[in-house]
Amino acid sequence: MAETPPDWFVEILRDELDIDVTADDLTRSLDELPGWDSVKLLTLLVALERHTGATLSLPDLLEARTLAAVHETATR
Amino acid sequence: MPPVGRTIRVVGAGTALPGPPLDTAALAGRFGMDGLWRQWVDTFIGTRTRHLALDLETGEQRQTLADLATAAARAALDRAGLSAEDVDVLVLGTATPDTLMPTAVNVVADRLRIDGVPSFQLQSGCSGAVQAIDVAAALLGSGRYRTALVLGGDVIAKHYDVTADLGALPPDELVNYVLFGDGAGAAVLTTDDVPGAPVLRAVRTRLSGLDREPGQTLRWYGLADRHKAEPPASEDYKAIEELVPALAEEVAEELLDDLGWDRDDISYLLPPQLSPVMTDKITSRLAFPLAKEVSCVADTGNTGNALLFFQLEALLADMAAPARALAVAIESSKWIQSGLALERSADG
Repeated sequence: MAETPPDWFVEILRDELDIDVTADDLTRSLDELPGWDSVKLLTLLVALERHTGATLSLPDLLEARTLAAVHETATR
Repeated sequence: MPPVGRTIRVVGAGTALPGPPLDTAALAGRFGMDGLWRQWVDTFIGTRTRHLALDLETGEQRQTLADLATAAARAALDRAGLSAEDVDVLVLGTATPDTLMPTAVNVVADRLRIDGVPSFQLQSGCSGAVQAIDVAAALLGSGRYRTALVLGGDVIAKHYDVTADLGALPPDELVNYVLFGDGAGAAVLTTDDVPGAPVLRAVRTRLSGLDREPGQTLRWYGLADRHKAEPPASEDYKAIEELVPALAEEVAEELLDDLGWDRDDISYLLPPQLSPVMTDKITSRLAFPLAKEVSCVADTGNTGNALLFFQLEALLADMAAPARALAVAIESSKWIQSGLALERSADG
């Protein structure tokens, strides 16, 4: 189980992806997340790279099935 | 509906692409995008290369739609063993004319030294080639004309801002930078009896847009409204992803029904060319087990009105006899279902 992501992660989702997430949404399967798609994933990952300064690798992140898991993989 | 009255054959096809093939790494380099972005394009779009009618470094436009369409027309006429003098009607489809007036079809006619014949231009999208062939087939079927030059193409230079910050673009604009490419194509259709040339057995186009929001919007601006905030090009890629496979399946089924053909009769399938990833999904769903897929989008990008001509060019080079081919194209701006069927019979 991935840890609860910090506020800045939720802010990126809200401000840059226009997704208002609840705590439940963070651990919901991405397939069930309303409005989620591959373009949103790219937008999120680009924003995460900018925020963390780290270079991310897509194949690793495709394994992540929830937003919380995306955060954990991206900040590992 | 099948074109009735006269047998219409496709006697030649030709295409033209501008500049060198640009791989995703070249785009990434120009726009300062990193490995993650390239991996995303490879995984979710799948386009290996595309051609652009502009210099990627400076943004300067190097070719026009008329340049490309003229080159494609010359290639198609050459392959048909015909000359411009043989053309007695022209039809061109495009979403991105160089100028609204004069129309591209007439600029191309001028360059080919064609005059004194009717010419038509359709404002059209990814179904444009089938729509143009449908119009040409109806005109040829009427008996008034013998040989039609059918053209299609798109050049997105005016929408391709090489200084854009792709990382900051909204998703509905971002996809346009990786999905599309420039190109033009042409085919020659005739009522002459040309042994060995495939016969157009059916062609159909149908508006399916009632109560559906546009999946894609292209705007044009003039002096008074040039500062409008609306993006010149945007797309509802979610709607496209959901609707196009179902619409494509309907067209394929209807063509088979019209012709009384079985799935196993189809030797070549020319599926919709949205992107390699989408085309793979649609091809699997269409499920023609014995058909050879004829696709171009991985190498050309989505060239809109030109796509089917690239597929036809490849088909004509490969088509054995006897063989049946089915093509499907879906336009997602206001949703048009289209398709056609070609056949080479055993005796030619």
